[in-house]
Amino acid sequence: MVIDLKRCIGCYGCQLSCKAEHGTPPGVLFARVLKREEGQYPTVRQIFLPVLCNHCEDAPCIDVCPTGASFRWEEDGIVDIDHDKCVGCRACMMGCPYNNRYFNEERLDYFHDAGATPYEEARTMRHQDGVVMKCNFCRDRVRAGKEPACVANCPTVARYFGDLDDPTSEVSRLIKERDGFTLHPEVGTGPAVYYLPQ
Amino acid sequence: MATARYDRLIDDLRSEYRPQREWAEGRGLFLVIGHFLVGVAAGTWLMGLLYGVIEALIVAFALACLGGLAHLAFLGRPERAWKMMTRTASSWIARGFWGLSLFLAGGFLCLVPELWTGAPWSANSALSMAGYGLAFAGMVVLIVYMGFVYTSSKAIPFWNSPLHPVLYIAYACRGGTAALIIVMTASSRPIETGSALLEVWMAITAVVAVLWLLELQSAATGGNTAARRSVRELLAGRVALYFYGGILVIGLAVPAVLVAGIAAPLSQATLAAIGLASVVGDFFMKYSSIRAGIYLPLRTHHE
Repeated sequence: MVIDLKRCIGCYGCQLSCKAEHGTPPGVLFARVLKREEGQYPTVRQIFLPVLCNHCEDAPCIDVCPTGASFRWEEDGIVDIDHDKCVGCRACMMGCPYNNRYFNEERLDYFHDAGATPYEEARTMRHQDGVVMKCNFCRDRVRAGKEPACVANCPTVARYFGDLDDPTSEVSRLIKERDGFTLHPEVGTGPAVYYLPQ
Repeated sequence: MATARYDRLIDDLRSEYRPQREWAEGRGLFLVIGHFLVGVAAGTWLMGLLYGVIEALIVAFALACLGGLAHLAFLGRPERAWKMMTRTASSWIARGFWGLSLFLAGGFLCLVPELWTGAPWSANSALSMAGYGLAFAGMVVLIVYMGFVYTSSKAIPFWNSPLHPVLYIAYACRGGTAALIIVMTASSRPIETGSALLEVWMAITAVVAVLWLLELQSAATGGNTAARRSVRELLAGRVALYFYGGILVIGLAVPAVLVAGIAAPLSQATLAAIGLASVVGDFFMKYSSIRAGIYLPLRTHHE
């Protein structure tokens, strides 16, 4: 995935569409946007950094997982979690240098005391508690020939999804032409999420 | 309660330096307790073997059982704990699970005939000897694995130090020596034996202190911003109370005063107090260094 920081306006559309697609419980944010103000009046600007699982080539979360719950799909390289294998030890959270794993400790409702809404009953309740959750690049959508929800719903077309192994793909071209970079390259995990500079 | 946890998570996600809470707060406290108990258990088994104190082996076994239960209480899905046996090739947690399993199985085999005269196998039988062998192998794994669990955590630069495993090994030895001192005083052994052990304890404590200084110094000067922030949390932040009060005062100053004979002449009670203070200090070492963990910030390189 490639994220164009020049185009991102910090609208949280990716975060919301991800929530809608996966029906994640409160406190679980597969995609989120970091926002920060910089400078001093009158030259103040806001900086947005959308973040999600980097689906690293050498994923430390897979190495530290004691059960094999964290794994990589061989056919597309997507790093995923088998929730039936996860014991909730959270070692993967400590191993992920991108802080994009969440522990779904116990059932939480969005409207706390009012209890679960019918939507929550239908969507968020299907997730297991006591396990770690994370983005899987909307693998079901990708397999069906669609883009991940955060890419398809970005109103400024700041996100691109494609095959990094294919040098002719749009993502490869963008990274090459616009000096795409990854977060924390010094950790050496080989992230599959690139950013285009502002 | 749940709402407060949610609000805190959102606050944490917004902050530049996100503190790790999963392994120290709430149910995470059981992990700290588990690691502490298992570390002391392995050290006590080692010292018990070296000094031939069967009571120490019994205490070590009991501590390891409690440590195992604490680990289970920490897991989100304890009923699946057996699945942790599958990934020993890359996961230190899986190796630790094997270590604890071997230790408990071996400890059971060798301690049962020692404690129960009507046991189906004798203390000198092959089964008992195999038990000693298994327990020893498990003990080695338990002493070694914990530090590596933290070192392999790439998200927390403060733990991601090659000194961490050495520090944990030294702490296991210190905890084991302190526990042996307590066991020996409780079983009314001659005070000379305790005094000799005290010298071992002092030597290991000196090593521990040097390792701590090196770890803090390397994180503060050579580490990245998150590692430096962790040092700040330890020395002047939200964990400072546990660092100064728990590690330095209880774990170091109190035993030092007692060893020097300033507070009281060396007696069985003083020896026991030294051992107890040392063990409590060890708990706070684990608690504070785990709680001081700060996630690698995401904004370091692109701006």
